[in-house]
Amino acid sequence: MTRLDRLFEWLPVSLCDVLERLPEPVKERLEEIRIREGRPLEIGYDSRSTFVTPDGVETDDYRLAWQPDREVCRALLERITRHSLYAMEEELRLGYITVPGGHRIGLAGRTVLENGAVRRLRDVAGFNVRVARERIGCSAGVLPGLLDLAAQTVRHTLIVSPPQQGKTTLLRDLARAVSAGDWRHPAARGWRGRKVGIVDERSEIAACENGVPTFDLGPRCDVLDACPKAEGVMMLIRSMSPEVVVVDEIGRPEDAEALREALNAGVRVVATAHAEGIDDVLSRPVLRQLAAEGLFHAYVILSRTAGRVTHRIVTAEEALAGRWRRQAPRAGAAPRDAPGAGGFLPPAVSPPGASGFRPGAETANQIPCQGGNHG
Amino acid sequence: MVKLAGAFLVMTAGTLIGFAQAARYAARPRQIRELLHALKRLETEIAYGQTPLPEALGRIGAAVAVPLRDIFVRAASLLRDERGTTAEACWREAVETGWPDTALREAEKEAMLRLGTSLGASDRADQLKHVRLAMAQLEAEEAAAREEQRKYEKMCRSLGMLGAALVVILMV
Repeated sequence: MTRLDRLFEWLPVSLCDVLERLPEPVKERLEEIRIREGRPLEIGYDSRSTFVTPDGVETDDYRLAWQPDREVCRALLERITRHSLYAMEEELRLGYITVPGGHRIGLAGRTVLENGAVRRLRDVAGFNVRVARERIGCSAGVLPGLLDLAAQTVRHTLIVSPPQQGKTTLLRDLARAVSAGDWRHPAARGWRGRKVGIVDERSEIAACENGVPTFDLGPRCDVLDACPKAEGVMMLIRSMSPEVVVVDEIGRPEDAEALREALNAGVRVVATAHAEGIDDVLSRPVLRQLAAEGLFHAYVILSRTAGRVTHRIVTAEEALAGRWRRQAPRAGAAPRDAPGAGGFLPPAVSPPGASGFRPGAETANQIPCQGGNHG
Repeated sequence: MVKLAGAFLVMTAGTLIGFAQAARYAARPRQIRELLHALKRLETEIAYGQTPLPEALGRIGAAVAVPLRDIFVRAASLLRDERGTTAEACWREAVETGWPDTALREAEKEAMLRLGTSLGASDRADQLKHVRLAMAQLEAEEAAAREEQRKYEKMCRSLGMLGAALVVILMV
């Protein structure tokens, strides 16, 4: 059974019937399913979105689309919460639920406040199902650029991109490659894999079932499932002696504190954050401070044009000096400090941002995955 | 000879009917008590274990005695396997199917079905309130059931036998 089939098991029958009728190629590339009560069913794939008619045909005219009613939404919410809202209070406070298979379902509804803080959601009427995908080997183009040749391991890395560009998919494959010793770099021949510890707060990276990852994460991976990042990093360092710690979506002050702790414990950190580019990183308080402290040695910026994910690697020095603006994307680049690494490429004319790649370099830079998900 | 055999049969039947009726009076408070224990357990599962409903009901089913066990086990399996239905519908179906096998009456069923309408559909504090409300209702019914048992259990037994004796006398 594929991961998508297992997702469909979690959806109400009437919704499933519509989705099952979609053409196979669309189903294969499905990234998002948006269910809104009394409004048209929308799906997203290849960075675009369309509506779906009751017969499973794509349409741009939303008036022809199938509309899930109140019953469907109630059944969906009950199913994904396993009929137990009381056991999902934390999830309802944060606004998403992860179902087996690593698919994250975002929720929108009316918030219930308590002392001014969001306590939970009620009257949930909007769902965003994000389909998790496994892309083994999608980090092959990135990892060689992140190697620390002297220490024979990966550098402290922050992966940044807007949502929906494949951050988590890339992070997952990086964890797999590091733990399996799949370094993909000539100088790294003969290196062993590293012990990887993953703090999987949203159960998305590993999609653990009963504590065992369902995604391929290589042979040397320990996962703290559903654990708050800051605490999880400390727990891993104390108890599991990881050599590389992998966390998703950092941004809170306590995350920064934990990452500093990891750094001082001699553990490499690979993390992701929501940001458009380095400028955004430097404008978010917590990330800016981490960047200024030089915690991260390399930044990977993901962006997607025409359904293809492209990446580029910026070193910490370039990021802080603002030199990254002129930096053309480089595929599989060796680290700047690595022996034999070339100088800078001629400055690119295009401004930074989603489409700021030169066509020539872009093809070389494509991560071999289409429509990776989980930004 | 035939007369004697007939009289004996009538006596036996009457006595058995009386005893069966008496057993129903005795079983009702006992089953209400079991139901109360089950709800107490559900309360714990919700409050401390935060166990999802299908597992919680399954565990309770494994712990209670037979006529009630079926209700919980059926509800748990419906919740696990049925797609596109609500907890309320699953609970209702399980209660409706399993109820005739119990000695319980309409009042208890009402309480259980009312509990079903909110089962799993709210946060912990609210769930506990609903479970406790159902328990309070059951406790009231239990008191009434015990009173009835005290009044009617013995009476049923003797009435069965005496009624049979009356029939025999009339027939002779």
